[in-house]
Amino acid sequence: MAARILAVFLLLFLSAAPLGSSLYEDQVGLMDWHQKYIGKVKHAVFHTQRSGRKRVVVSTEENVIASLDLRHGDIFWRRVLGANDVVDAIDVALGKFVITLSSDGSTIRAWNLPDGLMVWETFIRGSKSSKSLLLSGTNSKVDKDNTILAFGEGCLVAVSSADGEVLWKKDFADASFEVQQIIQSPGRDVVYVLGFVGSSSFDAYQINGKNGEVMHHDTASFAGGFSGNTLLVSDDVLVALDAAMSHLITISFQGGGLSINEKPISNLVGDFAGPVEILALKLGRMFALKANKLITFISISNDGKLDVLEKINSAAAISDALSVSDGRHAVGLVQQVDNKVEFTVKLGNDWNTNLLKETINMDHQRGFVRKVFINNYIRTDRSHGFRALVVMEDHSLLLVQQGEIVWGREDGLASILDVTTSELPVEKDGVSVSKVEQNLFEWLKGHILKLKGTLMLASPEDMVVIQGMRLKSSEKSKMTRDHNGFRKLLIVLTRGGKLFALHTGDGRIIWSRLLESLRKSEACEHPTGLRIYTWQVPHHHAMDENPSVLVVGRCQQNLDAPGILSFVDAYTGSEIKSVGPVHSVLQVIPLPFTDSTEQRLHLLIDAKQRVHLYPRSREALSIFQQERSNIYWYSVEADKSIIRGYAIKRTCVHEDAGDYCFEPRDLWSVVFPGKSEKIVSTVTQKLNEVVHTQAKVMAEQELMYKYISKNLLFVATASPKASHEIGSAIPDESFLVVYLIDTITGRILQRMTHQGCQAPVHAVFSENWVVYHYFNLRAHRYEMSVIEIYDQSRADNKDVLKLVVGKHNLTSPTSSYSRPEVVAKSQSYFFTHSVKAITVTLTAKGITSKQLLIGTISDQVLALDKRYLDPRRSLNPSQAEKEEGVIPLTDSLPIIPQSYVTHALKVEGLRGIVTVPAKLESTTLVFSYGVDIFFTRLAPSRTYDSLTEDFSYALLLITIVALIAAIFVTWVWSERKELQEKWR
Amino acid sequence: MKRTEQSLRYTRAQGCGEIAQRRHAAALHHPLPAVHLGDVRLTSHRPHRSPAYRSTISSIESILAMMELERWGPSKFLPTSRLLIVLAFVSCLSCVFVAGRSADGYTINGRVKIPTGAGAKGFGLLGKISDVKVILNGGQKVTFLRPDGYFSFYNVPAGTHLIEVAAIGYFFSPVRVDVSARNPGKVQAALTENRRGLIELVLEPLREEQYYEIREPFSIMSVVKSPMGLMMGFMLIVVFLMPKLVENMDPEEMRRAQEEMRSQGVPSLSSLLPSAARN
Repeated sequence: MAARILAVFLLLFLSAAPLGSSLYEDQVGLMDWHQKYIGKVKHAVFHTQRSGRKRVVVSTEENVIASLDLRHGDIFWRRVLGANDVVDAIDVALGKFVITLSSDGSTIRAWNLPDGLMVWETFIRGSKSSKSLLLSGTNSKVDKDNTILAFGEGCLVAVSSADGEVLWKKDFADASFEVQQIIQSPGRDVVYVLGFVGSSSFDAYQINGKNGEVMHHDTASFAGGFSGNTLLVSDDVLVALDAAMSHLITISFQGGGLSINEKPISNLVGDFAGPVEILALKLGRMFALKANKLITFISISNDGKLDVLEKINSAAAISDALSVSDGRHAVGLVQQVDNKVEFTVKLGNDWNTNLLKETINMDHQRGFVRKVFINNYIRTDRSHGFRALVVMEDHSLLLVQQGEIVWGREDGLASILDVTTSELPVEKDGVSVSKVEQNLFEWLKGHILKLKGTLMLASPEDMVVIQGMRLKSSEKSKMTRDHNGFRKLLIVLTRGGKLFALHTGDGRIIWSRLLESLRKSEACEHPTGLRIYTWQVPHHHAMDENPSVLVVGRCQQNLDAPGILSFVDAYTGSEIKSVGPVHSVLQVIPLPFTDSTEQRLHLLIDAKQRVHLYPRSREALSIFQQERSNIYWYSVEADKSIIRGYAIKRTCVHEDAGDYCFEPRDLWSVVFPGKSEKIVSTVTQKLNEVVHTQAKVMAEQELMYKYISKNLLFVATASPKASHEIGSAIPDESFLVVYLIDTITGRILQRMTHQGCQAPVHAVFSENWVVYHYFNLRAHRYEMSVIEIYDQSRADNKDVLKLVVGKHNLTSPTSSYSRPEVVAKSQSYFFTHSVKAITVTLTAKGITSKQLLIGTISDQVLALDKRYLDPRRSLNPSQAEKEEGVIPLTDSLPIIPQSYVTHALKVEGLRGIVTVPAKLESTTLVFSYGVDIFFTRLAPSRTYDSLTEDFSYALLLITIVALIAAIFVTWVWSERKELQEKWR
Repeated sequence: MKRTEQSLRYTRAQGCGEIAQRRHAAALHHPLPAVHLGDVRLTSHRPHRSPAYRSTISSIESILAMMELERWGPSKFLPTSRLLIVLAFVSCLSCVFVAGRSADGYTINGRVKIPTGAGAKGFGLLGKISDVKVILNGGQKVTFLRPDGYFSFYNVPAGTHLIEVAAIGYFFSPVRVDVSARNPGKVQAALTENRRGLIELVLEPLREEQYYEIREPFSIMSVVKSPMGLMMGFMLIVVFLMPKLVENMDPEEMRRAQEEMRSQGVPSLSSLLPSAARN
């Protein structure tokens, strides 16, 4: 009977817990934080003419168009375009539309300036690819008919800025005509289209601005040939370089015919070597020439004479010319002087006078100035003031005004490459008693407020205070390790080569460091960061040392480019040491061994499949030598459809660091038929995953043994047609094959074909199961499949007696060479959305049930309980299965809005989701990144090992008080009754 | 070059005779005589691409099927010769709506309709049309909605495509869109979630999404129902009702029961203790 009551109670508890976690609206921000970014700014247009909100419209390398508040740097609105929709130019038209030209000049869109609503969209179809140019005529005041001229895909199009209507179109279909510039005459009725034909002829078309008819066509040839870009210096003069890069060519094209002049560059800058680049200033009859590590400013007089104005160091950024007043043009210059930045504004016609010269203190962690955009305003004394928007090397965006940085945005965080975590330092000082006493009153007050909140008695102001208190709760953002392991450092590597450490409590930046080794240098022209690994996690005997991370980079984009290694202190961000450029890095394998200073051994595999051991110490080498025979790895050659397995053969013969370099020995290879199958996805288990139990208890006391091996590789291949995007293949010619391959022996454990299905495949591998997402062409829906692998050779170890007596093979070592009998179970379900990323929750001990975290196409992260992806689901589960928690089979996976981890937020441009176990078994930390970053804490099976945030302490107190009161009352009553009994 | 826009409209006989639908007649400024082109009747006109024009379109939703064909000459730019075809199918489930044809790709035009007013409460940020994205083939192309809810994908090759709508607060079913190569410009669409064919490419959310649990207001019942409340309730019952029950019993019956218990020797806690056992 008692047991039944207990069961009823348990049921009551359990029924309250739905599958997955959910959130109340007032809990937003309690455990999660969300930061919005835009990325590295490419173009910026200020909009400050009218009174009211001053803003700057920017487009970025993450294909974001955003309107920023010029006062604080906040985002008014932001639109994230598709991945292929690269923004070529932006402008503001009519004072109310933002015009963007994107997708190689094929799409023109107009966005409403105040709220970012897309007003119209026009598509230009041309016949060839070309430069894309946009002229919206904001600079010319005479603009009345509001047409926008756009050039893209070899077509010149005039578009009405009010509704996007194409007014006329002129196709320059001639393949050899390479358009360089489009100029509109001040009266706006003549448009000049200028370009090269072949390499040595220059063509100029005069086009009627009203209807697009060619009025005049001029050709001039130049024997020296042209190279690279041309620059428009004024309304009628163009500057170019000749093919040999030794002469400067000026072309003047107005006033009847074309005239070409050339002048040797050496006359202007003296002797020079290396590449020459001409930099546009736009208007102002000036341009800049970058040669000899110097920037030379050159002006052109009306009769075509070139004059050198000034030479400055090339570590400077120049803004476009800005027309100030009555035809005068100002140019902004930002130069780096030690830790300071010099911002100068010069007048085009009168170079020697500075309109403005300011020195600004700049954090040297921001690197060099990359771009500068200037804007002017009228001061109260009617003089001109200037503000500059500065893009730095680390992709951050700063607004500089009156010698100060008004605001800064860390937009490097919009392009995260990789993430790792680090523990915070242990708390050392004891908590003093006085502090507690002082806080007691506060504590009481807080709890009374909370009590009011719980009893729904709180006024709106109180609610605000409660919310603020919850958000602030200093517990969350302390700089020390906590008991539950919620507080950690997220160490993030960005494309700009900067490393950030973010606090998981509130997302603030603890430190940031522009890695010296990931900056452009002589030896390494285009360094990029690749991955980040935990290098040293001190515990036990190396407690005093700080943990450190390993950053792996590469000098160039190609795979065999030399690699760069950098070791960074995780608490301070200082670079301990850096190595490089060294051998190429294709793969990094962290080994499960550490040396006496807790440095983890890492194997770096280069393009020739040679293995390099790090750290390069004798001790590490001796540890490695012991385990050498147990080290295997594999390589995936997707273009050749081959997977190869390797082991170590011997130390390198021709290598400098001979002892730490090893040559590979080919072990096995899996060759997929290249004509019919292409590798589209490979996934392995996470190295740090913990598996709690090897056995799975089924209903009816059945026992299944999971086949758990860290050396399994999931490979998905698709037929060549099916490996492209959706919409290009038909079901009959597409199929998807998935394999489970043992990476030690190359044995294929499981092979499964999905007919009529196609890539993209997103997969996640955990414990003994793989879940993968792909597109089913027949149903034209996305599908998700699960494969679970069980070890059949241990299946007869069910007898308890046998286990007790010891007659079982459970303790026998598992080996890939033992060829165990495995059984795979699989099931497929429909899933509604496209998927961008997929991962699984990790917990400290692996006891808690798992949830899949699915980054959907709408940039949200959905938590889906693994129980929905269970091959044992059937239409009518038996009673026993129901008790076990098997969900009846449905054809599609449910999408419960409350189980969106990101609730009502979006992680724009979502690219990855990372899960890190907390110390508390029930909880896992989730970090998702894209253009935005989002962090939260999840409890896949609810927080069974701690009280939740919304636990009602008030109710507990009330109950206790009531019970005590009841005890006293009943005690008095019983006394009285006893007395009465005695009197009787 | 003169601005010319043509609109082609045709009706196709499908057993039940010709049904000609006039779409946004208000926008027709210069209707030209109808031209016969096989079984296709063409009319050209100049539509205004103004918001007013679009709102007119939206006002006429009763059309069974419509088809818009944009033809651009492959070599010469015939600017926006816009052929509007109104097709009336009666038989098929998933019919034709919007497609434009050009050199090697088609244009898919459609509309997203988000119910305003009802239900959008609680989410101040929701229901904003500017935040809605329309995605073709899982991210191949992304576009946004114009103020009237219309969207277009340009230069889409013939084939079967998937359109998804990403809008916070609403659940949209992905839409399967077939752009036929054999029958230029013919487009069919169906919701993939419930396999419902679409007559027009008008996408409406299947349901609203509520991302937060709703906190129930404080009530006595919730306290009573909570484990502690149950505990207290049980205790109260024991304290107040049990003595009553005992009192109500017949004294003789009581005595009998007590004797019975004594004879059976109910193992009481005291009897289990070693000291009790010694007695």
